[in-house]
Amino acid sequence: MRDVAIVGTGTTPFGEFEGGVKEMGVKAASRALQSCGVTSEDVNALFLGNFVAGMLEGQEALAPLVADSIGLTGIPTMKTEGACASSGIAFRRAYQAIRTGEHDVIIAMGVENMTDADTTEFTRALGSAADYTTDGVTGVTFPGFYGLMLDRYLHEYDATREQIAQVSVKNRRNGAANPRARFQSEITVDDVLKSRLIADPLRLYDCCPAADGGAAVILAASDIAETFTEEPIPVLGSGHATGRSAAYRYDDLTTFEATSIAAESAYEQADVRPSDIDVVELHDCFSAAEVGDSEDLGFFEKGNGAAAVEAGRTAVDGEIPINPSGGLLAKGHPVGATGIGQIYEICEQLRGSHENQVEGAEIGLTHNLGGSGAIGTVTILGGPTHV
Amino acid sequence: MSKSSSQSFPAQRCTDCGTLYGHRMFVCRECLAETLTDVSLEGEGTVYARTTIRVPGSDHQGEEPFEVAVIDVGSDMSVRVTARVENNPELKPGDSVEFIERRDGVFYFESS
Repeated sequence: MRDVAIVGTGTTPFGEFEGGVKEMGVKAASRALQSCGVTSEDVNALFLGNFVAGMLEGQEALAPLVADSIGLTGIPTMKTEGACASSGIAFRRAYQAIRTGEHDVIIAMGVENMTDADTTEFTRALGSAADYTTDGVTGVTFPGFYGLMLDRYLHEYDATREQIAQVSVKNRRNGAANPRARFQSEITVDDVLKSRLIADPLRLYDCCPAADGGAAVILAASDIAETFTEEPIPVLGSGHATGRSAAYRYDDLTTFEATSIAAESAYEQADVRPSDIDVVELHDCFSAAEVGDSEDLGFFEKGNGAAAVEAGRTAVDGEIPINPSGGLLAKGHPVGATGIGQIYEICEQLRGSHENQVEGAEIGLTHNLGGSGAIGTVTILGGPTHV
Repeated sequence: MSKSSSQSFPAQRCTDCGTLYGHRMFVCRECLAETLTDVSLEGEGTVYARTTIRVPGSDHQGEEPFEVAVIDVGSDMSVRVTARVENNPELKPGDSVEFIERRDGVFYFESS
C-alpha cells in the first residue's frame, strides 16, 4: 500500500449562482489544476460526486462532461452517488485507487446545483435519499428524520433545546468570516428559537441551507507529491461505512454507526485518537446532527455534546474546534459537493491559511454523511510536518 | 390474543428463523429466506420518538401539519415501525398509542 497526499485544491464559493452544474464543476476542477504543478497529462482518472443533477437539471454523465471540458479525454472517469456523502465517496475511491497502485494522480471532486429548482422538485429530489417504501411513504422528510432524532436525544440525555441552538449560533458566527459561505451573518439563540417550526423540535435556523457549488482536490502518490507542490497534505486515514436506511431501523436513534465505524477505521489507519485531532469539519446538516456526530466521532461522551457547544469547547479557539468554515449550517450544503468542500476547508487549516485559522492545527478530520445515517465517510489529513 | 379494543397489527414472520418484521420485507434480513408469512401482533404500541412535519415533500403537500413517530408495536413480541399518528401533536417518547389501520403502505396509529 502506498501513501497518498493532496497536492492541489480548487473550489467555487458555496451560495446561490446563475451557473449550472457543468460550469461549477469545470471551474472547481480547473482551479485545482491551476493551484499546483499537475498538468492534464499527469491526471490518470477523475471521480466526481453528485446527487441530484439528474433529477433537477436532467444532466447525467457529469464526470466525462467535466473531464472533456478541461482537456482530460482518454482517461477513466466516473460519478459516485451516496446522497449527501457522494463526494466523500469520490475522495475515498480516488484515495484507494492510488493507494493500491492502480493510478498515480486523480482528481476527486463534487458538484451540485440546487437553488434554481422550485421547492417541490427540490424536496422530492432530496427525499429520494430516504427509503421511499417505509419512511418516505409515511411522510418523513430529512428535517423530519432529524426531528425524530432530536426528540429522542432530548428524552434520553440531559441536554437543552437552547444548547442545541448554540450549534447554529456558533456555525453562523464562523461562516460570517468565510468568503466561501452562503450565509455570512450572525444569529442569536433567540433567533433560532423564534424561527418557524419545520419538524418539531427543529426550527428553520436548525436546518442547513441548500447551495450551489463545486469543489475539487488532486490526489497523488506521496513519493511524487513534491514534484507537484511544496505543501502536500498527507491523507493519514480514510473510512467508509454503511448504516441504517430508515428511522425505524435504529435501536438507538441518537447514534449513527455509519459515522462511528468509518471513524474507527480512519483513526486506526492514521494511528491517532480523537484527542489528537486539532480541527474538524463534520456533517451538520441540522444543529442536532452536529451534536450527535461530535459524539459518534469520539470527541465527547454520548449525551455531553450539547453542553460542550454551550461551553465553547467546539469554537474556533476551543479545545476541539468544529466547523470553523461555518459548516453546512452557514457555508451551505450543495449536497454532492459538501464532502470535498469540507476537505478543501481542512487543507486551508493545515496550510495555516484559513480565515478562521485554528492555531497550530496539524491534524484535521472531515466527516460526510448521506441518507438517513446510511452512508458515512471520514477522512483524516495531516499538516506539512506529517509528510 | 389482544384483550384491548385496538386492531391487531399485521406483521410478518420468517418461516425459517422466526424473525418478526413490521415493514414489508422481500427476504429475511437475518437468514435471507424468501418465505415470510403474515402474523398478527397486539395493536398496542409505545412511542420511541415523534415529530410534526410542517414542510412536507411533494407527495404529502396539503396534509401538513401531521405527526410521524417511530413506534414499538406488539406486547411480548414487538416490532419497530415508522408510522403516522392521527390525533395528538403533544405525544412524547414513552406515550401509549393504538394501531388503527395500514393504508397505502402506511401504518396509522392514534393516542390510547
